[in-house]
Amino acid sequence: MFRALYTAASGMTAQQLNLDNIANNLANSSTAGFQQRRLQFSDLLYQNEIMPGSAATQQTTVAAGLQIGLGTRPAATEVIQTQGAFSTTSNPFDVAVQGAGFFQILLPNGQTGYTRAGSFHPDAQGAIVTADGNPLQPAVTIPADAISVTIGSDGTVSVTQPGQTQASQVGTIQTALFVNPGGLNSVGNNTYLATTASGEPVIGTPGGAEGLGTLQQGMLEQSNVSVVDQFVQMILAQRSYESNSRVVKAADEMLQQLNQLAQ
Amino acid sequence: MNSGYYAACTGLMSRISSLETIANNLANVSTAGFRGRHNIFSSVLASASNAPLSVVNQDANDYGVLSATRLDSSQGALEKTGNDLDLAIEGPGYFAVQTSTGTAYARGGNFRVSAQHQLITSAGDPVMGDNGPITVVGAPVSISADGTISVQGAITGKLKLVDFAPLVEMQSSGGGYYTVAAGVVPIATTSSVRQGMLESSNVNPVTSVVELITAQREVETMRRVLTMFNSEMDKTAAQDLPHVG
Repeated sequence: MFRALYTAASGMTAQQLNLDNIANNLANSSTAGFQQRRLQFSDLLYQNEIMPGSAATQQTTVAAGLQIGLGTRPAATEVIQTQGAFSTTSNPFDVAVQGAGFFQILLPNGQTGYTRAGSFHPDAQGAIVTADGNPLQPAVTIPADAISVTIGSDGTVSVTQPGQTQASQVGTIQTALFVNPGGLNSVGNNTYLATTASGEPVIGTPGGAEGLGTLQQGMLEQSNVSVVDQFVQMILAQRSYESNSRVVKAADEMLQQLNQLAQ
Repeated sequence: MNSGYYAACTGLMSRISSLETIANNLANVSTAGFRGRHNIFSSVLASASNAPLSVVNQDANDYGVLSATRLDSSQGALEKTGNDLDLAIEGPGYFAVQTSTGTAYARGGNFRVSAQHQLITSAGDPVMGDNGPITVVGAPVSISADGTISVQGAITGKLKLVDFAPLVEMQSSGGGYYTVAAGVVPIATTSSVRQGMLESSNVNPVTSVVELITAQREVETMRRVLTMFNSEMDKTAAQDLPHVG
């Protein structure tokens, strides 16, 4: 009896957390390079009141056991890897990854971060940095007198300088690929860190057959949050919360019935 | 004492425990790979005795109890996540997983690759291939409908997919794992793997809420029966009968 109350409470807590996650997805529906997360649940332990296969009589065994589950728990929030829509910005330092790769950036603490948000800028020294000032890895420096910058689909960065007819290559943007990108650790500012769940990155030049994606200059990848889908998820969360609270009410009313017995 | 009193009492208790199964199903309505359980009520005497019952005996003493819960093996909806290691199964099959307590079966989930390059479940248990655990080195991973895993075009293993005969009783062991009794042998699979997808819970909220209301109302009925025995009949017997005549 009281198990039902706690089971339903676990469902309500989980749905509440689900709504928190949906709220964050919706809040970032306009964040370029943002990838939505999806809350994963896992069922809790089961109590075996009657083990299946236990003896019913000397000759027979019970066909099915009596198992009572104890509810649910939020297990993980997984980063969803679908491609976001591209918007054209015509800014030469805006780069979008078409495919599965991540840009690598050097964080102030020396760690390598990974991002899908390709809104870069040259800093005072000409190094390509993110909006937060973290340099792209491997570092690419644009000469101060560059007239135009071209980023090829394979990551080749070339510039045209005054008095030259040929563009000269100044660096290559590499992308990183994870075997399980859903397990990346979000640290805010569109940045992810590698974890044991995501696996070690496979780093290479985009454009090849390794699945590192291709780069698109002058474009930004929009958030992959589908507002419609999130609203559907929100309604589902709300209704599941409701049906779990319905269980609490039913359990309460059953208890009430029992109390009336004693009158 | 009236045997009907005990019949109503066991009926009441069984409906109360049935709420626990319904509560667990509803709590897991968003759990990927979850399969709900159904309550099975049966009569005490019919299952406890092999001797044929007299009609009067059946009517008066055949108490209803919650005897079992059975796994609902219907297919859940497949939801796209786009992650290469999110796997779901279309069909009745299961993935085999090596846990510390023996082989468990799962309907899929967020798999990942361990630091030792083994394909593991989100709980960290190795997912079995046809020849033991599967080693995955590098990315991207592609998995075909029959479970063949390839990394950048090179085949590295094949997921072990198993089906069970329809009457095999599956136990839920939590965390999206299911087990079978020792000695049950899987049969050839007819299922296929879907990469980048997760199977939603197969709990139908509508049926669950209907079951919930039924249990609730039946508790009410049993309570009324018990009250009737308590207040009406016993009162008549104890207070009114001595005054007859």
